Amino acid sequence: MPAPSTPGLAAAWPQRIWRSALTLSLAALVAACGGGGGSTSSVETLAAGGGATDTTAAAPVVEKPATRAEAARFLTQASFGPTDADIDTLMAQGYAAWIDAQWSQPWASHRATWEAADAAAKAAGDGGVWQTGVANSFWKQAIGGQAQLRQRVAFALSQIFVISMQGSAVGDEPRAVAAWFDMLNTQANGRYRDLLEAVTLHPQMGVYLSHLKNRKADPITGRVPDENYAREVMQLFSIGLVQLNPDGSTKLEAGKPLETYGPADIAGLAKVFTGFSWDCPDWPDNSCFHWGGDPADPDRAWKPMAGYPQYHSAEEKTFLGTTIAAQGRGDPGASLKVALDTLAAHPNVAPFIGRQLIQRLVTSNPSPAYVQAVATAFAASGGHLGSTVKAVLMHPEARQTSDSAGKPREPVLKLSAFLRAFNYQSDSGDFKVGATDSDADALGQSPLRSPSVFNFYRPGYVPPGTATAALGLVAPEMQISHETSAAGYVNFMRDVVQSGVGAWNATLQRRDLQADFAGELALADQPQALVQRVNDKLLGGRMPAALASEIQAAVASITLPVLNTAGSNQASIDRAKLNRVRTALFLALVAPEFAVQK
Amino acid sequence: MKHPIRFDASRRLFLQQASAMSALCASAAPLALNLSAMGSAAAQAATDYKAIVCLFLYGGNDSINMVLPTDAASWAAYSTVRNQAPDSIALLKDVPVGGTGTSPTALGGVLPISPARNQGRSFALHPAMDALVPLFNVDKRLAILPNVGPLMAPTTKAQHGSTGHPLPANLYSHNDQQNTWQALGPEGVGVGWGGRLADALAATNAFPIFSSVSASGNAVWLSGRSVRQYQLGGGGAIRMGADSSGRIFGSTAVADAMQRIVSGTRGTHVMEGDLAAVNRRAIDAEAALRSAMKPASDPLFGTAPASGSYSANADPKLRYANFNGGSDFNALAWQLQVVARLMDAAGNAAVGARRQVFFVSLGGFDTHDNQNTQHATLMARVAHAMAYFDTTLGGLGLRDKVTLFTASDFGRTFTSNGDGTDHGWGAHHFVQGGAVAGGDLYGRFPTFGTKNANNNGFDGSPDQLGNGVLLPTSSVDQLGATLGRWFGLSDSQLLDVFPNLLRWDTAQRNLGFMRA
Repeated sequence: MPAPSTPGLAAAWPQRIWRSALTLSLAALVAACGGGGGSTSSVETLAAGGGATDTTAAAPVVEKPATRAEAARFLTQASFGPTDADIDTLMAQGYAAWIDAQWSQPWASHRATWEAADAAAKAAGDGGVWQTGVANSFWKQAIGGQAQLRQRVAFALSQIFVISMQGSAVGDEPRAVAAWFDMLNTQANGRYRDLLEAVTLHPQMGVYLSHLKNRKADPITGRVPDENYAREVMQLFSIGLVQLNPDGSTKLEAGKPLETYGPADIAGLAKVFTGFSWDCPDWPDNSCFHWGGDPADPDRAWKPMAGYPQYHSAEEKTFLGTTIAAQGRGDPGASLKVALDTLAAHPNVAPFIGRQLIQRLVTSNPSPAYVQAVATAFAASGGHLGSTVKAVLMHPEARQTSDSAGKPREPVLKLSAFLRAFNYQSDSGDFKVGATDSDADALGQSPLRSPSVFNFYRPGYVPPGTATAALGLVAPEMQISHETSAAGYVNFMRDVVQSGVGAWNATLQRRDLQADFAGELALADQPQALVQRVNDKLLGGRMPAALASEIQAAVASITLPVLNTAGSNQASIDRAKLNRVRTALFLALVAPEFAVQK
Repeated sequence: MKHPIRFDASRRLFLQQASAMSALCASAAPLALNLSAMGSAAAQAATDYKAIVCLFLYGGNDSINMVLPTDAASWAAYSTVRNQAPDSIALLKDVPVGGTGTSPTALGGVLPISPARNQGRSFALHPAMDALVPLFNVDKRLAILPNVGPLMAPTTKAQHGSTGHPLPANLYSHNDQQNTWQALGPEGVGVGWGGRLADALAATNAFPIFSSVSASGNAVWLSGRSVRQYQLGGGGAIRMGADSSGRIFGSTAVADAMQRIVSGTRGTHVMEGDLAAVNRRAIDAEAALRSAMKPASDPLFGTAPASGSYSANADPKLRYANFNGGSDFNALAWQLQVVARLMDAAGNAAVGARRQVFFVSLGGFDTHDNQNTQHATLMARVAHAMAYFDTTLGGLGLRDKVTLFTASDFGRTFTSNGDGTDHGWGAHHFVQGGAVAGGDLYGRFPTFGTKNANNNGFDGSPDQLGNGVLLPTSSVDQLGATLGRWFGLSDSQLLDVFPNLLRWDTAQRNLGFMRA
């Protein structure tokens, strides 16, 4: 029997975890003790909610943000960055109503956007948009899209259910990757079980984790099924390596974590993921399985994979305590249903997925009570992700600040917050930001281009030798933070502030995304007011006074010439004003105070 | 890591506090280069130079296709098991190169090597590794370590099947086994053995930030208890923010403000302090390296362009022969180039390093499918990069001072899934350098069996588990301790870094592949 466990984060680290609990602020502990009840009761109302979005909005601790700063803070968690307009809307609607309304906001299909851009590029003789078209569609929705919460959650899901265009085979199908992002957008307010099926049957996942065209064993020659997807769907997409309590802590037996599965479970589940391949007009012809048929369906790269009985293992399949009896003829659909039902029903899913959603949206180190409240919302809603996300964003701990709560901002989210706050517009309308992979001269992160299925960073990453580590805390985003990426980010943002961002527009002789800074330029002769404006827009008005005065001094150090009587020095005055604005923006963007979402 | 810390607990606590304090205090002096010096105040001094380079093959290298036993029995088992439809991954022997591409036929036969002690068998390397054959056979600066992997104790197949015998946690899992190779425990263990070797000797360096250097992202192998890694891109250290005149937006005052702002925090959030510390290290280290390192175009490291500025991509030294008659850029060689440039600068007063550990890596080894195409390319890159590094170190007179070893998540299954392999455990690895007693195998090469009629447990081999996965016969601890002894650690220091070593007999704690 599982012994009582320690609250915490990762399997092997009960001691660290225990210390982690101690380092939570008093406020967080109070909330963990006192706030859990209210939170739990609020999600119980979802129990019979079916697939519908929760609209009951029961008992949130704070109905409406009291200040614009609080609204900005919430929007940093729930969107790609606060804008003045979104703050107004949120303050009028309150948190719960804003969340509910967000799911009804329209969103543009990434695939349709990609196709239009690709067609336009080809018409112009440019050959196509390739992966850049995926990145640009992401930025178009992130910066200008109305369905902010949906897109932000889809971006979070893209870092849990990972495919990557850095994989050459996936990278060759950018249109299908755009369709993958659409799928995540759709499923972001759906059920986990449906998401898991859509993920499993997406041919780009099939390509990425190699279960597309995976064949049953050949007992005579000794060929075995590919185990890749069977392993990673358990380790990364559903249950994780070790058994969890509902609060996300590790179940222990004799002081050791209990594993969720072993090699035999993987071998059993690997048989399930055989016999899946391209959707095809001539299904289930063998040529469809191998090549997608001739001619192949042009949409095969994104339509859900089909099951091919002749390549599906008919053997008995045992995994996670479930047995699928031997089949007379391989029945891939029946096997898959049992497998995904089994995974989705595992008690680990709620805390395992719930905790990662908290980490992507709100804080790296949620308390056990916070994880439990979110896991409860997940379970009570039948694995409804919209309800789960609402529980993540509405929990009292999401409203609290401390010296360790929150998370380092992802590089992509730093840029999106800046571009939204200052209303950057795309000359082309296509938001041609392009790839931002390079850590030496860009962000070190591009959407849907992580180095492996383990994402850009791990949920349990502890940055070695840091004060964060000494407190027993994790900081996933710091896995891509080092001296090269630190300098690369500063240089990239200097460039963005100075020249805009994105593809060069030869006609206009400037980069595609630009801001006019009119509101800031009007304050260029008032350093204090200028810095306050930047503070309000980028840091929710919470810039420490010492930072504000440091930036003010730097701004003031740029001399504004006095207009001469002939008026001939207006250009140098304008240049100095612009440099003052750039300085205020740039210094705020590179400050560690901005780098952490608190 | 379960063993008690035998010394200096209070000093470590002080260091942690100092680290946290300095991270939180904006006004601290330029501590970044010096901070970890305190951590090694008690360590011994050294007057010579030595460095260890970890070449990590991310994804789990199929070493079964990298070093191959070619005696009749081994070859028969190998060829039978790995020749599966639709795309055989069984390499061939004694065949001519069959054209372009990466199929076994196109690659031609495996390349025979002649270990000094051949264990009564014969061996060969992957056909794309021709650059390494003379290093092994003639120069004898390359050794092979058969079947290495994480172990808690010596483990037989019978012990593996019994309960109670200690085994590493989370076997077969990428992230956990990467972490175990680098830090002797699964993900979450945050102190790596490379960093601990550096801890022991960092006092001999003028600026301990240069004790532990990655040319490839963050790697836990490099993180000691006091030593922290410094990250260096292939192109060298990057100046933060300011132009060559020290200005931002035309202003030195703005550039100065930027430096103060990024390297401190006015708030109290713990992560802000940590991020500020990274920024400060980036600024200070770049200032030190700016003039200390020779440019990549120096003929010691690269090829000066006929005109224009240096491009690593275009440097023929950094390009390897692909399988279509052309050449491609080798990012791994580029990483080793910057490593060599920093080694060359070790004696510069601004660097002042006598003991260094380095980390480079190459990804893409998780060859579940399409293995023929992927793996041949990876083998070619590894061989080209290692040969480039050997040549470059020769030019610097540093061959005897530098030892490179390969590491990887795990080996792969002996069985084929039709066009690839799955996660395994033990794997063969290389050690390269002038101080290596090369041209030989260190450790028993595993016996290959075949699947029997009833199960996939490879009952005929004492070294193979289900799917023919290799049960390691040498441990990461033994490998690390052998390198650590050469680096200058004492027996007691080695046991402190590699506590599992206590479960091996004294004579087995040194694998013997270093000359002295």
